Amino acid sequence: MRIFTNNLRLFWDGTLLSYRALFHWLRPAQYVASKVFMPLAQMFFFVFLGTFATSAANAGFYIIGNAIQITAVSGIFGVTMSVGGERETGTLPYLFGTPANRLVTFFGRAFMHVLDGMLGVVIAFGWGVILLGLDLSHTNLAALGLTIAVTTLSTCGLGLLMGCLSLITVNVMFVNNFVYFLLLIFSGANVPLADLPNWMQVVSYALPLTRGIAAARSLVAGAPLADVAPLLWAELGVGLVYGLIGYFLFSWFEFEAKRRGTLEVF
Amino acid sequence: MNARLLLKYWRTILVVAEMTIRQQLMDGFIIFTVLFQPIIIALLALWMLKGKGPEYAIFVVVGSGLTGLWSSLLFISGNSINAERWSGTLESLVALPTPFEVIVFGKNLANVIQSLSSMVLGYFVAAFLFGYDLTISQPLYFALSIFISIFAFISFGLIIAPVFVMNPGVRHWQNAMEFPVYLLCGFLFPIALLPGWTTPISYLLPPYWAAVALHGTTTPGTPPNEIFFAWGMMFVFSVIDLLIASRLFKLMLYKARADATLGME
Repeated sequence: MRIFTNNLRLFWDGTLLSYRALFHWLRPAQYVASKVFMPLAQMFFFVFLGTFATSAANAGFYIIGNAIQITAVSGIFGVTMSVGGERETGTLPYLFGTPANRLVTFFGRAFMHVLDGMLGVVIAFGWGVILLGLDLSHTNLAALGLTIAVTTLSTCGLGLLMGCLSLITVNVMFVNNFVYFLLLIFSGANVPLADLPNWMQVVSYALPLTRGIAAARSLVAGAPLADVAPLLWAELGVGLVYGLIGYFLFSWFEFEAKRRGTLEVF
Repeated sequence: MNARLLLKYWRTILVVAEMTIRQQLMDGFIIFTVLFQPIIIALLALWMLKGKGPEYAIFVVVGSGLTGLWSSLLFISGNSINAERWSGTLESLVALPTPFEVIVFGKNLANVIQSLSSMVLGYFVAAFLFGYDLTISQPLYFALSIFISIFAFISFGLIIAPVFVMNPGVRHWQNAMEFPVYLLCGFLFPIALLPGWTTPISYLLPPYWAAVALHGTTTPGTPPNEIFFAWGMMFVFSVIDLLIASRLFKLMLYKARADATLGME
């Protein structure tokens, strides 16, 4: 019981402090600019481009896809920087020097970003309803909330893996941006998956977001939770796989870094 | 900044541009911003606009190239002074007999030229990957439009850099300024789709006029008057931007020297 309580405290303190540390150097204006205005402007851009490409009647397709995709801002950039920031700020040796449970420490880095990412998606849906006329009258809102939570968790799983990679690469922002923009193509947020070549569809289904976006579209169209449950389970599974790969890499990097004495070597 | 300085220091400008390009070829973030991001946007737009017909392919190539130009101007040219500050070379550059704005002009020239490579790459992606037959309907006017757009973008960048240095609060909004300009300048769709109240804002942005000129010269049937007007607007904005930039550089350097905060954030 004592071990459980200690780990719970470690999880909570770790998650809160890493999140506060990440935004310590930011001011509220920068948070609002990066986490509220930038994603919304991106959503508006793709919604207008999509309606220009097809018709105004298809606006919902693009609003839902891009609103859910906003979770990647927290899931990819936020989580990666929380993990990779340990190396940037020189705190990695202290982290690896503690006897703390690595699983709790590692997954704790993503927790606040899950909440933050969900908030971003909810704001995006809000703007979608108010400014772009998205109709949620047939939507099971609780199921949509669950979809947002599952998709955010799953995207943070990929973020944890990217965070691990940021421990061994210098060009963290290149990798982050690249993955973030590739998700715009592969997730089906802007292009129906059926329009993509077969090999791209295979990649799409191996990534987070794809099934979450499909589930959200079905729910907004009036589907019950039971219809999208298989999509949500699969989405959760994809995220879990990425998170676990990330965790094992994290453990392996720690082992190798200690063995070779290459901790913090850029 | 004026024409006399440009003529007097043209060799310095070219050397600064060359060195900037060499240095930036090793920077992953810059490579992503000027090359990969516009190509990903081009791929997305080519898929999304597939139903509009093959004539839109060249529109996408030009539009996605313009997104690269703006992102490069915002993130790389916008930080061109701060980058020197971060690497500890700002004091030495300011102490040189060469006017500081000449050096920043050369850096902006490098950024804009680098960004244009994304338009060339986008052309090949659309032609070979998607099999589109791409033609530029008015090649001479297109080349002139590129030249004038480069000048307009550099001049606009000369305002952004000192503003970001003197007002860190504005620089915090850098991330949020990228997509609104894509929207307002009609890079990939006409601004007529946007609410009417945004149109005057579009008219005040030099990248909008660059988009009008470049899209106009690649789209068959565009009246020359429309292109000439866009050139005129870019010229007017460039002159205004250079005048404002000149004042801003003087003010920035005076403040930095008076407060002794040149290398400090």
